[in-house]
Amino acid sequence: MSVWLVILLIGLLAFLGAPLFLIIGAFALLGFAVSGIDASAVIINLYSIAENPVLIAIPLFTFAGYVLAESNSPRRLVNVAQAFFGWMPGGLAIVVLVTCAFFTAFTGASGVTIVALGGLLYPALIKELYPERFSLGLVTASGSIGLLFPPSLPIILYGLISKVDIDKLFLAGIIPGIILLLFLGIYSIFVGVKAKVPRVPFSWRNIATTSRAAAWEMPLPLVIVGGIYGGIFTATEAAAVTAFYVLVVEVFIYKDLKLTTDIPRVMKESMLLVGAILAIVGTALGLTNYLIDAEVPQKLFELVRATITSPTTFLLILNGFLIIVGMMMDIFSAILVVVPLIIPVAMQFGINPIHLGIIFLTNLEIGYLTPPVGLNLFLSSLRFHKPILHITRAVLVFIVLELVALMLITYIPELSLWLVEAF
Amino acid sequence: MSVLRKFDSLLNKFEGALLVLLLAAMVVMAFLQVVLRNGFNSTILWVDILLRHLVLWTGFLGAALATSSERHINIDAFTRFLSPRARSVINTITNLFAVVVCWLLLQASVTYVKNEMIAGSTIYADLPTWYSALIIPIGFGLLILHFSVRAILNANAALKNEVTS
Repeated sequence: MSVWLVILLIGLLAFLGAPLFLIIGAFALLGFAVSGIDASAVIINLYSIAENPVLIAIPLFTFAGYVLAESNSPRRLVNVAQAFFGWMPGGLAIVVLVTCAFFTAFTGASGVTIVALGGLLYPALIKELYPERFSLGLVTASGSIGLLFPPSLPIILYGLISKVDIDKLFLAGIIPGIILLLFLGIYSIFVGVKAKVPRVPFSWRNIATTSRAAAWEMPLPLVIVGGIYGGIFTATEAAAVTAFYVLVVEVFIYKDLKLTTDIPRVMKESMLLVGAILAIVGTALGLTNYLIDAEVPQKLFELVRATITSPTTFLLILNGFLIIVGMMMDIFSAILVVVPLIIPVAMQFGINPIHLGIIFLTNLEIGYLTPPVGLNLFLSSLRFHKPILHITRAVLVFIVLELVALMLITYIPELSLWLVEAF
Repeated sequence: MSVLRKFDSLLNKFEGALLVLLLAAMVVMAFLQVVLRNGFNSTILWVDILLRHLVLWTGFLGAALATSSERHINIDAFTRFLSPRARSVINTITNLFAVVVCWLLLQASVTYVKNEMIAGSTIYADLPTWYSALIIPIGFGLLILHFSVRAILNANAALKNEVTS
């Protein structure tokens, strides 16, 4: 009885804003205490952070992303995208989608995108006479649009927890990621045409000058994807190459950041986020270990099997459940706590863990836009000084579009698995 | 209270400096390993091990810094609509809770380090595991200090009806 009271109390503290890594840690401590195992079991699991060769990708990619965000590279990349897509109907909106996708993938879907690019792109949209509500919704939704592209941190974390090859997950996310971009892109073109937004004429010279300006940054995605699938380096090594490359390019070639003043600041700033994520990883490893010891996934499966028999229904229920998870939890805690619980269940229904990962991440991408804890809503509200409710209304269309894309991704597994099998 | 703030920011400066050093080492060494593997077909084994342990160290130092700037991931959807004073009261409670959990985790990590000392396990060559594991009790110790400062500052603000920075 008193155990339930403690659980209730910890849950309440979570809603009052206590740090989630300690909420998770408290549950882990409680679980081990109830089963009569010494509390040092939590620390044994935490220490395994130092035994995992994949985790180093988290600080390295985050650092690289922050360096890019703090330099002038957002402006250079927007210019390139403008030269390539500006002539299309809805051109600037496409620019928003493409550059945000690039930035989100590199900054680990941590919200840096809206902070780094929003201030640049939102006024530009308004200036080109896109409707205010559409512009706000687009910039807010774009803040997590690159989640499925390599080298996004949520993909790396999912791979870590599910023990699925990260290289394969990176491949699996590409087509579903493009589908999401297409959905939002087509809608943007539609809006652009309807609002009679003026179009910039296409010019080769423009492409040449802007590309030359961003010549050192544009090849980055290609280097990562090419390097990993060309067998030159692993996903972890890609992080090492990216961090070093970005540092050298921004400090010594573009000279956007000073090595002695800016870089230490950016390092500290990026490690704040890494510390916050790793703290959750550390305690969640303990909780997961307890849950598996207590055979919670098996019990969950038996419970599910009693009511659901077909994989089709299971996937539908799973999506509903994950959207609620995405509404309540941040993406990092959700991956670490929920994935170990649902993977065994999903496997019993014959769902490929790679496909499951893409479904999972797409759901949580939508979760970034849904109240009450949708991170993008709050970042947008802070950045553009608009009330949350106004922004929620602005992203509604985008949520619906992403839900339709989610259905395609869920029920056509080939979208996720085709590239994985082809390579 | 200003003494407390000074202490907190002094501690932050120290943690930040160490963090910058460790991350710089990580970026350079991780890159060199890739160059060695591809160019010379060999890597230095202890560098790989060191890099993995650096992740744990930067994680704890980053978490300590995140505490002072209140950047830990949490659910703030409900508290953000409260008045500043009510928020200070609730922040005092959640920070005290954090101190308690960190204290329990500190005790658990002391047990863990002691067990490692008795077991005599090593990371590489003669280097004992507990040397590196020492960051765990140190880390939780730092977290306790920072969360305590936050708790006191928030309690003070709640009493005096001020806004904490």
